[in-house]
Amino acid sequence: MVHFAFLDWFWLVTFVLLMIGSGALFYRLGKRSEADFFLAGRGLPWWLPASSVYATHTATDTPMWVAGVVYKHGLAGLWYGFFAAWCAVSAFVSTKIFRRSLAYSQAEWQTLRYGGMPAELLRGWVAGWQVFLNMFILGWVGIAMGKVCHFLFGWPPWMGLTFFSTLCAVYVLAAGYWGVVMADFQQGIIAFIAIAFVSIWGMYAAGGPHAIVAKLHEMGLSNMLNPFSFSGFTGGDFPVAWFITMLVIGILGGLGMATAIDWFPEAQRIQSARTVKDASWCIWAGQALVVTRNALWAAAVLGFFVLYPGLTQVKDYEMAWFRLGFETLPVGMIGFFFAAIVAIHLSTISTHLNLGAVYITRDLYHHYINPKADQRRLVWVGRVGTVILLVGSFIFGSIMENITEWLIFALWIMAAGVWLPGILQVIWWRFNGWGYLTAWIFNLIFSWLVVWVLPAFGVIPHLRDYQQFWLLMFLGAIVFIPVTLLTKAESMDHLVKFYVMSRPVGWWGPVRREAERRGLLS
Amino acid sequence: MPFIRRQWTSKEADEWTREDTITVIISPLVYVLLMIGTALSMFAMWQGFVILGAGIILMLVMIWIINPKLSSVSEGYEKKQKGYIEDLDRAIKWEE
Repeated sequence: MVHFAFLDWFWLVTFVLLMIGSGALFYRLGKRSEADFFLAGRGLPWWLPASSVYATHTATDTPMWVAGVVYKHGLAGLWYGFFAAWCAVSAFVSTKIFRRSLAYSQAEWQTLRYGGMPAELLRGWVAGWQVFLNMFILGWVGIAMGKVCHFLFGWPPWMGLTFFSTLCAVYVLAAGYWGVVMADFQQGIIAFIAIAFVSIWGMYAAGGPHAIVAKLHEMGLSNMLNPFSFSGFTGGDFPVAWFITMLVIGILGGLGMATAIDWFPEAQRIQSARTVKDASWCIWAGQALVVTRNALWAAAVLGFFVLYPGLTQVKDYEMAWFRLGFETLPVGMIGFFFAAIVAIHLSTISTHLNLGAVYITRDLYHHYINPKADQRRLVWVGRVGTVILLVGSFIFGSIMENITEWLIFALWIMAAGVWLPGILQVIWWRFNGWGYLTAWIFNLIFSWLVVWVLPAFGVIPHLRDYQQFWLLMFLGAIVFIPVTLLTKAESMDHLVKFYVMSRPVGWWGPVRREAERRGLLS
Repeated sequence: MPFIRRQWTSKEADEWTREDTITVIISPLVYVLLMIGTALSMFAMWQGFVILGAGIILMLVMIWIINPKLSSVSEGYEKKQKGYIEDLDRAIKWEE
């Protein structure tokens, strides 16, 4: 249990008032239209959505996750967070293409890239999947906050889950994405300062940088300071083969769309940027901050390691950064630290509340139920969607222990077999909606078989995660490529329109020639 | 023509060129250098400061290379954006 002094309460209350204030301040802007409620009117300079990218991907469970891999693998554990590299490439390739499409969401983009029945099926599927996924993430992150509050104040976990998510919903309901992004900007600054401050403070509590290095040498663990300390090419728990797979997934994934779970929140930030250039730099800078932040955490976790070596239970060492803060900061700064944790938490919650509501409003209600809805009604549907997500997150959060394993599996299949189709849909004109739909369906089947069913019956051995990735990619390809080639290409009219507007890269020769013939590329 | 071109028309900037290729190679490298450089600098290791410095310099070089092209792409596109937005709702309607 932690005791709060007056100054601690001052930090916390000031911060909460700032957040609620941003909702009140931008209430009028948020309610003007669907584009305002979900994209801040597409008018933001790059640094605002960049701070939102950074703040969103700094959640309550992120320092636990970084602590878990760095305590175990040393600085090499940083590579677990390097999937973010997809943004390094995407910023200059697929971000530009997506921004030019003007689609509100990845689901809407399906109907711009593909046509006819498969496009509608894909839009409905992606939208439904994303509503579910955002609710799940809200529950997941919410219950992590519940655990932190239990650790700090002895509250039952449901109290931390519901109190802070409801607080966040106040400004998301009032101002929509305007509230999200303005609060994220403040939260991003507070969080970055706190992460740098607490990490440095924690390192000095562990004796300072030189003492930590010396202690690691004494313990015979200098390799923990080597970011390239692998356990062999294929053997051990951290092989080079995993590293190469991660680089391929991350870097080549930047050429495509929906190749990473983060693509979906990033899509909203891309569209909220005022120009194509702002969109590119917001994605690039936001994730550059993420990888830099991971490095700050990693250094602090190694400080924790020399203070508490030999912890074997994940639950003991995953709290490393939180423990450094709460156990070593002076009275008066604990409240600042907790305010920063609240900032970290609210930024993620607010994003997923608003993002899930995009799919409910734009892709389900506006597209299928009421295409003629006026702007006022759409904003209200956005608010109702936000409440549905909030309530759903409480349910998910309360049963999270039981369903986590299943849902992590669901996240995993999201990434493995549709990664290559995610790239092909951007770089190959002939890839069509039937191919992408087939990839989704067969990925579901193959994932069950490869990850669970076949190993359980001894047909194939239990494979490492990187081996599963390559196998699922190969199995998917031998189905969706023939399906693509055996079904009709998208209509040339549809493709030309998409090409002229979005200017995708790669193999688009026939479409380009047709666009030139029609005089559309002047 | 210089190796790195910094003057573009919006039509030229829409094409994939050497500048794009160089940028997508440098960009992930900058992420690597910033991440490792920051981590090692936190331990006051000289290698960390060198790597971090290299990352910052390379980032500036990348901006110098690609920013003029991005500006031209944006400029050309924004002229058409208003029309595209007006067209968007009609284009994606699932019923005629």
